[in-house]
Amino acid sequence: MAKKTKSARRSPSRASPAKVKEEDVRRAVRQRYATLASTGSSCCPTDRSTMCGCSDLYPQAEIVSLPEAAVAVSAGCGNPTAIAGLKPGMTVVDLGSGGGIDCFLAAKKVGPKGRVYGIDATHEMLLRARKTAAENGYVNVEFRLGEIEHIPLESDVADVVISNCVINLSPDKEQVFRDAFRVLRPGGKLAVSDIVLLKDLPDELRSDLSGWSQCVSGAVSEQEYIGAMKKAGFEKVRVEERVVYTHEQLSGYVRQAPVADKERLKGLDLDQLVASYKISAMKPKK
Amino acid sequence: MKKKLMDILACPVCKHHPLELTVKKEDEREVLEGTIRCPKCSVDYPIEDGIPDMLPPEK
Repeated sequence: MAKKTKSARRSPSRASPAKVKEEDVRRAVRQRYATLASTGSSCCPTDRSTMCGCSDLYPQAEIVSLPEAAVAVSAGCGNPTAIAGLKPGMTVVDLGSGGGIDCFLAAKKVGPKGRVYGIDATHEMLLRARKTAAENGYVNVEFRLGEIEHIPLESDVADVVISNCVINLSPDKEQVFRDAFRVLRPGGKLAVSDIVLLKDLPDELRSDLSGWSQCVSGAVSEQEYIGAMKKAGFEKVRVEERVVYTHEQLSGYVRQAPVADKERLKGLDLDQLVASYKISAMKPKK
Repeated sequence: MKKKLMDILACPVCKHHPLELTVKKEDEREVLEGTIRCPKCSVDYPIEDGIPDMLPPEK
C-alpha cells in the first residue's frame, strides 16, 4: 500500500506564490491545526483589542446550543450555515470541518433525516470532532480524513457544501471549487466564509508559512476567488457579507503564530488588507 | 465510520464508486478499524479510530 501521510503533488496553481512550496504549505497548515486540536485553543487571543472576532461570528443562541469542545477549537472566520439555507433532510458536506462546529450547527438544521459529512486533513481535529459528536449524541454527522481538493465522495450527492475559512489555505483553490461542484447535486448550493485579499500582500507576509496557516498568506483577491468559483461552473455567485479587518486585528492575529518571523512583520501596514467574506453560489440545475 | 457511508464514498483520486470495505474491528454502531479499497487504483485506505483516511496517496 502506498504510504498515505502526505498528499499527492500537483503543479502549483496560479494562486500559489513562487517562494512557497505547496507541500510545505500543506505541512505547515496541518501542523498548526493539529496543535490547535490538542491544545484546545481557539484562533482568538484573549485580548479583545487584537482578536480576529471569531467569538462574535455566531449568534449567542447558536453558540450556547453547541458542544463546548467544538467551540473551543473553532478557527473559522464566519458562519457559513447562516447563508446555506439548510432544511430538514438535506445532505451537507463541510470542507475543512476541523473541530466540527459548523457540522454540528448544520446537523441541528438538517435534523435526523439529514446527513452532514465533515472532511478535514488533520487526524487530531477529526478525533476531537468524533469524540464530541459521540458525547453529544449527534448521529447524523460523520467525519473522514481527506483533502478538500480530492473530496472522497460520489458526484451529485450534496444539497449544500459549506466551508469556513479553509479554502484560503489550499494551494489549489480552483481544484477545490471544481470538486465541490462535482459533489453537489444540480441546483445545489455552495456557502462559504473565507478570507479575501483587498490589496496586494506584502512579500514578507506572502512567504511566511505561519501566515499561510493563519489564513492570510494563501488568501487571494475577490476577483480571483470568485473567478475560480465561476470557472468551476458555479453561477449566481453572491457576496453576502464583507467584514474588513483593521491593522490591530490582523497584526494581533498573525503575531500569535508560533513560527511567525515577528521581526520581518514589524512596520507592515496591515490595515484593510484582508476581509472576511460570506459568499454563496449555485450549481446550475441542468 | 458507519457502514452506510460506503453508499456515497468514492476514491479521492479516480472517484470510483463503490469501494470495497474490509472490517477488522467494529462495535454495534460502526467500523473502528479496517480498510477501504479502491479496486480501480488498487489503493487501500485505512480506517483508524473509526475515521476513514481518504487522503490521496503520495505519488
